Amino acid sequence: MTGTLTPPAPPAPRAVAHHSGDPEKRPITQASLNDDVLKLISLPGKIWWAAFLFDLTVLAVALGAVRNIIMHGWGVSAFMRPVMWAVDITNFVFWVGIAHCGTLVSAVLFLFRSHFRRAVYRIAEAMTVFGVLTAAMFPAIHTGRPWFDYWLFPYPNQRGIWTNVRSPLEWDVFAVNTYLTISSIFFLVGLIPDIAAVRDRAKHPIMKLLYTLLSFGWSGANYQWKHFYGAYLFFAALATPLVFSVHSVVSWDFAMAQVPGWHSTLFAPYFVAGAIFSGVALVINLLIPIRKAFHLEHIVTTEHMEKLSKLVLLTSTMVGYSYLNEFFMAWFGSNKAEADVFWFRATGHYWWAFWTMFSCNVIFPLLLWFKSFRRNMVALFILCIFVNVGMWFERFVIIVTSLTRAFNPANWFYYRMSITEVALIVGSFAWFFMFFLVFVRVLPAFSIAEIKETLPVPRRRDER
Amino acid sequence: MIGAIMKQLFPPPPKFYGVMGIYYYVDDAAQTVTALRQAGHKDLRVFSPVPHHEIEEALEQGPSIVRWVTFTGGLLGATGGFALCWYTIYTWPMVIGGKELYSIPPFTILGYESMILLAGLSNLLGMLALARLPEIKPAAPYDPRFQEDRIGIWVPCPPDATARVEQTMKGQGAEEVQVHA
Repeated sequence: MTGTLTPPAPPAPRAVAHHSGDPEKRPITQASLNDDVLKLISLPGKIWWAAFLFDLTVLAVALGAVRNIIMHGWGVSAFMRPVMWAVDITNFVFWVGIAHCGTLVSAVLFLFRSHFRRAVYRIAEAMTVFGVLTAAMFPAIHTGRPWFDYWLFPYPNQRGIWTNVRSPLEWDVFAVNTYLTISSIFFLVGLIPDIAAVRDRAKHPIMKLLYTLLSFGWSGANYQWKHFYGAYLFFAALATPLVFSVHSVVSWDFAMAQVPGWHSTLFAPYFVAGAIFSGVALVINLLIPIRKAFHLEHIVTTEHMEKLSKLVLLTSTMVGYSYLNEFFMAWFGSNKAEADVFWFRATGHYWWAFWTMFSCNVIFPLLLWFKSFRRNMVALFILCIFVNVGMWFERFVIIVTSLTRAFNPANWFYYRMSITEVALIVGSFAWFFMFFLVFVRVLPAFSIAEIKETLPVPRRRDER
Repeated sequence: MIGAIMKQLFPPPPKFYGVMGIYYYVDDAAQTVTALRQAGHKDLRVFSPVPHHEIEEALEQGPSIVRWVTFTGGLLGATGGFALCWYTIYTWPMVIGGKELYSIPPFTILGYESMILLAGLSNLLGMLALARLPEIKPAAPYDPRFQEDRIGIWVPCPPDATARVEQTMKGQGAEEVQVHA
């Protein structure tokens, strides 16, 4: 077949001149997007190295604390009856909660066709994977003898003993491990087309080899895209109920017990809302410095940040409703122990923890009703730090106040955190940021392929 | 050392026979695909940085069958999860509070999580198999511009047919045409 010879296309502009003072108005083309995102993957500068070395130093101190716990037992911390869960499980629930936002942003918003997710979901997904990796450490350490942690899994053994599948703790083993597996696969599969773009630019042979292996030899062929998106849709569809089920299962670790302050049907939705609340706040905390440091304001715009902050506001109201509902039910119900625990939470030894939680999670986020506040990145960053402080204290309040004030007054106790537990808390952040700092420099932190889909498609008929 | 590993893992691409057209405009590429398919070239490969509906329609691509692999995995996972609970609770009977051993609500949680896990793993394996990944031996010439902003159409054909394909591609607005003969 022959056709009329049409003139060849003009070369697409590679880097578009920045003609406006507003960095958010900088135009993006398909090729310039590759340049903008892949510039993060370069030899890190002094600031990155300083941050990374500081992070490793903190982590080394925390590992020293873990070593003490393993070598000398839990007695080196302040854990004793009846507060056996204390900081370890507080950290576990906090980090599992953090991990929920990634799958929400990447899977739930994908199914709802919310296009603003495309600019932010990779960071959120990375946060999910590293969050679960951080969370999973705590029950593993908490067993006291982590070398026997494989006992948590059902496996055939000579003694014929099996795990108790009716225990919420066993549900946790299944739920958290499924979540870690599926969110890691979702994260890595989404990276394949973008890693191919990195591979094509890699100069060093080791990096070229690494990226070639990670990209699975992706070439962007039509049959690859067809099955990639066919599968991606199902990953999203599978991950969506997982988001809601995993934190529900985590909440049942508490709700299935008879302990006052825990035994409530509200716990599953309350925990899921709280998880999304803290997770989105941390995504905002991560995105604001990255977009500023790498001049990516035209990719992650104020509009994107505002939409995320609306999610924080929405989930803050849900969490606030849950707090008030718990108090109402304690007053309205006939369970004296329940009423006593809630009165104790607000006015007892841990009043400071409760009011820190309530202020950070319910009162301060009310500022997000103001548009000017939502669009002010410095204010938003500070608020989101407060939200995460508040959410850590939420888990602390739930665990510690209930365990120190259960049914028998003879068992009442005042729990004081030891330096070992402080090291564990700080170390968990160092562990998380160690992964995150490496991720930002090694893998594409923004989805090139998905952001490209939001750009205008070059068509000859549009240019005529 | 690294070079030797690279050579072993990724041998030099084989000799290809065919024509590669490189396009900037999506509608040009879609029209070329239609024209080439009408001319009898059915085994085309189109490379692009993002998928385009116009090209998918021109290629007459149906939906991916990976969904059936996923469904099978999910079914096996749910069955396996429930079976595990049922088997373990009777093999190691642990009566707690005088309650029945067999209890549907907790088994549902484990069955459900197992379903998601197996469905997800099957989805991954199905996608890799159907998309022919990892692609160690390239099936067509490759150009790094396909990861940026250009679309490539590869037509495998014998040397005597290359001129006609080249002419079709140029006629439909190809920015560059590479003949591999």
